[in-house]
Amino acid sequence: MSHSATHTTARTTALPGSPLEQAASGLDMCVHCGFCLQACPTYLALDDENDSPRGRLVLMRGLLEGELNPADPDVGTHIDRCLGCRGCESACPSGVPYGQLLEATRATLAQHRPIPLIARVILAVFRNPALLALALGAARLLRATGLTRLLARLPGRPGFPFAMVESTRPLHTPTRYANDVSPSGTTFTLLTGCVMEGLFAHTNRATERVLEANGFGRQDTANQGCCGALHAHAGDLASARALARRNIAAFERSSADLIVTNSSGCGAMLREYPHLLADEPAWTERASRVAARVRDVSELLAARGPRPGAAIPWRVTYDAPCHLQHAQRIVAQPRAVLSAIPQLDLVPLADSDQCCGSAGIFNLVEPDVSERVLETKLRNIQATRATLVATGNPGCLMQIGAGLIQAKSSARAIHPVELLDASYAAQAQHRADP
Amino acid sequence: MIPLARELQDIVGAGWVKSGSSDLLAYTSDGLPGYRRDPLLAVFPGSRDEAIAVVQLLAKRNVSFVPRGAGTGLSGGALADGSVLIGMQRLRRIIELDAENRTARVEPGVVNVHLTRAATPHGLHYAPDPSSQSACTIGGNVAENAGGPHCLKYGVTTNHVLALTVVLPDGVVVQLGSATQETEGYDLLGTFVGSEGCFGLVLDVTVRLTPNPEAVRTMLADFTTIDAAARATSDIVASGIVPAALEMMDAPTIQAVESSIYAAGYPVDAAAVLLIELDGSAAGIEADAERVVALCRSAGARRVEVAADETQRQRLWQGRKKAFGAMGRVSSHLVVQDAVIPRTQLPAVLREIAAVAAEERLTVCNVFHAGDGNLHPNIPYNANDPDESARVHRAMGRIMQACVAAGGSVTGEHGIGLDKLDYMPLIFSDESLAAMCRVREVFDPGRRANPGKVIPVRACREWALAPAAR
Repeated sequence: MSHSATHTTARTTALPGSPLEQAASGLDMCVHCGFCLQACPTYLALDDENDSPRGRLVLMRGLLEGELNPADPDVGTHIDRCLGCRGCESACPSGVPYGQLLEATRATLAQHRPIPLIARVILAVFRNPALLALALGAARLLRATGLTRLLARLPGRPGFPFAMVESTRPLHTPTRYANDVSPSGTTFTLLTGCVMEGLFAHTNRATERVLEANGFGRQDTANQGCCGALHAHAGDLASARALARRNIAAFERSSADLIVTNSSGCGAMLREYPHLLADEPAWTERASRVAARVRDVSELLAARGPRPGAAIPWRVTYDAPCHLQHAQRIVAQPRAVLSAIPQLDLVPLADSDQCCGSAGIFNLVEPDVSERVLETKLRNIQATRATLVATGNPGCLMQIGAGLIQAKSSARAIHPVELLDASYAAQAQHRADP
Repeated sequence: MIPLARELQDIVGAGWVKSGSSDLLAYTSDGLPGYRRDPLLAVFPGSRDEAIAVVQLLAKRNVSFVPRGAGTGLSGGALADGSVLIGMQRLRRIIELDAENRTARVEPGVVNVHLTRAATPHGLHYAPDPSSQSACTIGGNVAENAGGPHCLKYGVTTNHVLALTVVLPDGVVVQLGSATQETEGYDLLGTFVGSEGCFGLVLDVTVRLTPNPEAVRTMLADFTTIDAAARATSDIVASGIVPAALEMMDAPTIQAVESSIYAAGYPVDAAAVLLIELDGSAAGIEADAERVVALCRSAGARRVEVAADETQRQRLWQGRKKAFGAMGRVSSHLVVQDAVIPRTQLPAVLREIAAVAAEERLTVCNVFHAGDGNLHPNIPYNANDPDESARVHRAMGRIMQACVAAGGSVTGEHGIGLDKLDYMPLIFSDESLAAMCRVREVFDPGRRANPGKVIPVRACREWALAPAAR
């Protein structure tokens, strides 16, 4: 008996040559057990099987077999409403490659109907480095002038994007501390990313400091850029591939042993470059070599057993970014990073493995569904009475951060690495000023 | 949109009536791929009152209906062929949890495991634990009289349901049973549980909650032949020990689970494993566990491992409970049988199943409740291959005949639904089937609740003559 990951069923489909047809063997793995239903945030929020993984797989099959029309708005709605959190993959005994099927379906639908306008605008900006720099610069300007603090007070959706930007304001003044650890031999280069370097530069610097403080040698990589995850998730595979090729070329020029990401969505994308470029033989092999060097910062730190810093006696809870927990299956490591901080009161968060509703640009394209998913998350956070929510992805940081601001909560979202960085900074301070 | 859809919308609100073919597609199948029926409409009541009003309207319009929980059933019971599908997933409130009296009253859409989760802080749980418990609903469990691994010791759903409020197909709301467990007259509650949606729609369920055992021992015994595992099963039960659960998995099942995210550390080179759980008071459990280990060894077990902690125990159980889903790794479609045979016949029937599988060139994955002789031979296959489909159909019939010949029955816990209709005449005479039809008439004289299920129409002479109720 064979247990190959895919079944080879020759079939004629209604969508010849489409990305969905290429991914079709994944559909055959679903045996309708329904174990994915309760793992799906949109099913829980919307109570409709069409908005569940099993239901969406039925829709995909209907498209493929010609029973459904790819231009049918009723079908598109349910595919659009998927967060792409891949929580279902962590529940699926059969191993249905749901994330790949979703991207293939969105790419197929995009050939028959336009991607929503707001998504197209955002994706165009992220595709163009100059435009993106301009947009992020404008956001920083709003943040620096304090205008975002003011505009975030606009109730509901109008204020939400401003609350998102406001939530990126650094929580502590980043302090450099003398690094007294000599490099161990393993070198890293950071995927600085687009939003990360644009709005979370403080997190990027903290990541570099923390890794150096744990003995990793740093190298910088020029000419890297947006990873393309937003484009791939939305069905714009051509743009995603162009961005992937640029990054592969950039990181090939780096001699660093490892490529470190502190944004789980980008990390997952980099690791999936070989799949994304599977149709381009010249690139697949190169993509695989780059992907093999990718590590989330929490993986590196947990493997090393991060050196402890000074005590931070705060109540903190951890929310797992979907693309860390479900896509990269990195579950324990971020918690291990946080436990390296003495006296940190790490309290469990109910359903921490469920999506917060950010999902890349989902919160801007599908605000209603996103808001309902976020409500559940905020309720669970509130129940922990934590003052900080640690999570390692810019989308989640801004979604949860904005939600907390708009709910007038005193709690804030923070990257786990920043907490460790603050712990090291405090330690250096104690040493300098005992 | 047909007028009925508009009338239903007036009750439940726009958006909660699905009528377009694309919106209905997801509701054309349930947990058994390979079957598909197109409902006329699907309606999703958001409250008890809405559910009653929906059934009353359908009674007035003389339209048939099919209740649906999470759509995890394995007999095609929740498929609606031209009927109105009533989806109950929105009614998922735990209305009351009375820890002192160890009861709970829940809406039918409550997910099985959510009830246990809510009872956990009180040291209680809901005992029936179908393998689909992370998804299936209590209402669906009531319809199918669902079992589960731990029903060996604790009994199936009917042993844990104290009372039901139901709306009968004619729109009348009645209470069956009582939370105080007094029964007067006929046991109508017992009749309703397991009626597969043919007697009416459940509005709320009062269940018994069970105290968590003081001590638990979970063991995995590894065998090189299926015969030896079957022998060990008989020996354990014959010894007088009542395990909480006693499950068997064969090699193809083990391999499917071990290649999934629920890999539990089962030995991939074993012919069969037994997953045995003992529970009860701390005093004595160790002695019983030692006896079970000794019995397994004398039956020929290579190794018997006792779960070291709760994490390992959960892992062993997750592998078992997700085994059905894991078979999607073998092929695209799946049929599963649910026969019950006398335990002493296990070795012979399992040999027969293996012989049928070999002759029909099919893979059979056995994962089942060995302790109570409830077999689940799963056959993964490709429904797009007509030759393979025909062989599967033939094999399923032959396996069922072997089980019946061994003194067995055609379903243990999945229900008859659509899938096992053809087997009913194997075990029931026309007279018995006609008697069942008459019971059904009492609850549903209009024959509008889940039509076409459980009793083959031709078995019911007067039904076969009447035009199908629509």
